[in-house]
Amino acid sequence: MDVDELLENARALAKQMSEYQSNLPPDAPASKELSETAREALLEECEEQFCQLQQLQNEITLEETESFQDSASLALSRANALAAELKEWQEIQPKLLSSNPEILLAVGKEELLQVNKQLEMVLSCTQAKRDKLKDLLKSEEQWLEDKKEVLRAATEKVTALKDENDRLSEKGVLQDMKKKIQRVKDYNDGLLETLSDILAEHFPLPHPEVNTNKRSKNILTEPRVDLVSLHDMLELLMKKAVETPHEPYVQLNESFWPPYIEMLLRYGIASRHPEDCFKIRLEAF
Amino acid sequence: MSLLKPFNKLPNLNTANVLLVENEEQFQKKLADAIVLLESNVNITVRLARSLPLPVENAESRPRIDLVVFIVHLDTEQSLLSTEASLKHLDSGYFLGKVCFLVTDARCGTVPYERLASIKKTAASLSSPLLMAEDKTTEGVRTAAQRVITVLKVSAGMVPMATGLYLSTLTRCTVPTDPDWQQDLSVIHQMTLNQ
Repeated sequence: MDVDELLENARALAKQMSEYQSNLPPDAPASKELSETAREALLEECEEQFCQLQQLQNEITLEETESFQDSASLALSRANALAAELKEWQEIQPKLLSSNPEILLAVGKEELLQVNKQLEMVLSCTQAKRDKLKDLLKSEEQWLEDKKEVLRAATEKVTALKDENDRLSEKGVLQDMKKKIQRVKDYNDGLLETLSDILAEHFPLPHPEVNTNKRSKNILTEPRVDLVSLHDMLELLMKKAVETPHEPYVQLNESFWPPYIEMLLRYGIASRHPEDCFKIRLEAF
Repeated sequence: MSLLKPFNKLPNLNTANVLLVENEEQFQKKLADAIVLLESNVNITVRLARSLPLPVENAESRPRIDLVVFIVHLDTEQSLLSTEASLKHLDSGYFLGKVCFLVTDARCGTVPYERLASIKKTAASLSSPLLMAEDKTTEGVRTAAQRVITVLKVSAGMVPMATGLYLSTLTRCTVPTDPDWQQDLSVIHQMTLNQ
């Protein structure tokens, strides 16, 4: 199997492991001690490396370099070192750790455990971050809600103020007054209409037949053709009272039917002039 | 006069040695404790010194120094002068990624700007990284220790595919050569001081 692929799989496994840690059995026990051959191979390699190191050290010690401190030579030596390092990187050959499968297994295991640990840390970190963001979101939503509430209240207030402003302005007052007047007028008209209906229905003028029937009894009563109705009488009285308040009296004449005059006087709708009994006025209610 | 050389001794297995040089000896102890506390799977030996050169008596027993950290307190002129003097006793091989400067009190407004500029210039001329540290809080000390350990591991060759030279090329302190910029900086600094 390819190393990368193996690593990839292991990473996925590690992720799942940390996600479902509670469902998993505990970690596998530490690997067994390496076999003798593997150990020996490792030691041998270490020895080899150390020998090489010693050799290099000796070379360095032999190479007596004079020290310099000025920046120009420092830069020069830096450039040299960098060039050497670059050359080394270019020439270096990737080499396997070891061909012993046991060693590779141990190294791989260690590596995977380390990756696992790191991924667990990443997971817990992201989870913490997620929770924090959730809280933040909640508080932000709350904030938004509050702001909406405030906006709503403010809009209401603005509308109320606008209404009030309209009401208080001259035009508004005029319109209001007009409306009121119109309402009162309508009410007045309605009242008058009702009144005239009632009058027309319940207070008719004496009919000629009635008169003819009564004629036998009361011959004195002359049929009057120019009688005014109660409606007209009231209208006249009202007009007088409203138009000329200083002189509200109406001169009685033949056209008023006496029983109706009597009725108006008796029920306190009209009253006589204190000095002239032929004048009546509408009672001041 | 003995120079401290980076390659005159064989390295020990799994061991990194760092030398903290500080004239005042007030921060290096705390930093050393923090470094030792933070070390993991690598043996880190911290050695302390007031200044270079190091005494000749125990030169034999001294391990190879992988990283020299100069701690500079900006609030005293002496700290800066002592550091400059110590630099002369270091082999030029150290300047290929085995030196770093740790500056404290850089945030303090009363510190003359010239000191920071001067240490920056020094670090830039030696192509070495310049770290800023907070020495008053434990958190700051811990952070500084972490950063020193990171640099140390690379310069001791414990990080595969990375060398001190490579790292210092990327992290070295640079000072803009534009004189206008420097003038601006000092003007800004003057303004902040006046406020």
